[in-house]
Amino acid sequence: MLPPGQLRALYFGSEFCADLLPGGAAVRRYCARARSAGIEAVLLTPIATPAGLARIQKLLAGFAQTGEAPAVVFNDWGVANLLRESFPHLERRAGRLINRGLRDPRLMDQVPDAETALEATGSERGRRMRAHLVRFGVTALETDVDIEGSFLGDGSEGLQRVLYLPFAFAASSRNCLVKAEGAPTSDECFTKGLEIPCKGSCRGRRDRIERADTRLPLWRAGNTIFFEVPQFRAGAMIQQADRIVLHGRPSP
Amino acid sequence: MRHSIEVAPLLEAGADEFFCGLTPPGWESRFGKAWASRRAPGSADVPDADDFERIVAKAGSRPVYVTLNAPYYPAGAVEMLAEFGARLLGAGAAGLIVADTDLLLALAESGHGQHLHVSSLATCINAGSARYYRDLGVRRIILPRHVTLDEIGQILIPDLEFEVFLLNDGCVFEEGLCATTHAAGAFCTLDGEGTEGILPATLERYAFWKWTLNHSGCRTGNGYPMGPCGLCAIPRLLALGVVSFKVVGREASLPRKLASVQIAAQALRLAKQGAGPKQIQEAVVALRGSPQMCEERHLCYYPDIWRKETSAC
Repeated sequence: MLPPGQLRALYFGSEFCADLLPGGAAVRRYCARARSAGIEAVLLTPIATPAGLARIQKLLAGFAQTGEAPAVVFNDWGVANLLRESFPHLERRAGRLINRGLRDPRLMDQVPDAETALEATGSERGRRMRAHLVRFGVTALETDVDIEGSFLGDGSEGLQRVLYLPFAFAASSRNCLVKAEGAPTSDECFTKGLEIPCKGSCRGRRDRIERADTRLPLWRAGNTIFFEVPQFRAGAMIQQADRIVLHGRPSP
Repeated sequence: MRHSIEVAPLLEAGADEFFCGLTPPGWESRFGKAWASRRAPGSADVPDADDFERIVAKAGSRPVYVTLNAPYYPAGAVEMLAEFGARLLGAGAAGLIVADTDLLLALAESGHGQHLHVSSLATCINAGSARYYRDLGVRRIILPRHVTLDEIGQILIPDLEFEVFLLNDGCVFEEGLCATTHAAGAFCTLDGEGTEGILPATLERYAFWKWTLNHSGCRTGNGYPMGPCGLCAIPRLLALGVVSFKVVGREASLPRKLASVQIAAQALRLAKQGAGPKQIQEAVVALRGSPQMCEERHLCYYPDIWRKETSAC
């Protein structure tokens, strides 16, 4: 179902958990890999606690020594502010968490009626935010597939429109079930464990979720639940996209 | 709150501020099942604009905020809500609680910034994000549930008001990062057990934690809700500069709201008189019972208060 196209960029990093951000050496390797392939390097950054924001700042500051300058996808307005104020030379791109649209897997596999489908091709939703992003110096708007389907707009704002396939996220949380699995006692889990650093045992791991209320394939990857988007939903949004980012597996 | 008849008893119980929900006339015919706020209008909204005006009148000098905090809106809804929000402000609303960036921008661009509260659904969890919203001109930020006291201390910045969760209604996921809808039932209810590869003991811990978030299976202790609670952290939160404490559950029954406000007001009074976390905990347990739930921090919104007990607060 994908249109013809060339490999343009290598995405790396994390959108959902600052504990999963790569270190400076790993970023250099990703950037070198992208450079050798003649494609763009794009660093994904997550929603960020104060500690997470400090970690992102340190990572970005490290680029000054190495000369790396990947484009940066932000999923947090604090990170966006940081990029604009302290790292204006880095291309900034708005990530999928900026789109708070509905992606409920229980509803996602229901085929919309013709009227709803027609509305999804409009460009009104998010219009102010897209204009705001342009004023903010943002060059691209990235999202996975949501139910509304019109978040990327018609392209008239000049933002590159990017669609993630084939997975969309359903829900994310700091109260991570995978992190809890490594906790020695129940006093180090969930709310009580927020202050405890995570060892990142979810790296490379994804666990299938079976639920009676949806037919869509679901996974838990780290602190986030993902599902595979039905083709009819993806097809509608592909038409709006200038770039498609393919994820080999669900990953936070 | 959800009705003007609740104002007087809630004032009597100690409420200092109110929030309620209201859906614009004609909304349903245009936007069907979409909600104008995070909660179902049928069970959580006030009946109509007339009753909202009665609420404002009865509240007197106490501010009444209206929540328009759905995480996103269908095309065309923002224009309707921005106009509706302006009307509500004209009718006496002290502010609007908003999550969607498009609606926030529409209201800020119309000059209503100083009447805007950023909903916890916007997931502002660092000072940079707070500065972003301050630059938009908003008045207050409501922090999400899952932040520690240390983090709150780092998020708060000057020239903004901050509100935090104090009582009731936990959320398994980060509410602003939950892209599902309660209109289809709470997605988190079934979460956990169907996950392959997670140890049964971990799933059991998860189920217990979820049970506490759901008011310990919808229980009360001497009439007081047994759900998430940050009462013992009030002294520290006041010292950090938090100006407002959220008692959640506008759709709840009046007895539950009254009990919640009474116990919150009692804790706040004690904190303002100089009581520390331990004294507040003792007072809360005396009212609510179930001391083991407090001793083992099962209900704590801010369990790290007990790590900080010896610090100045």
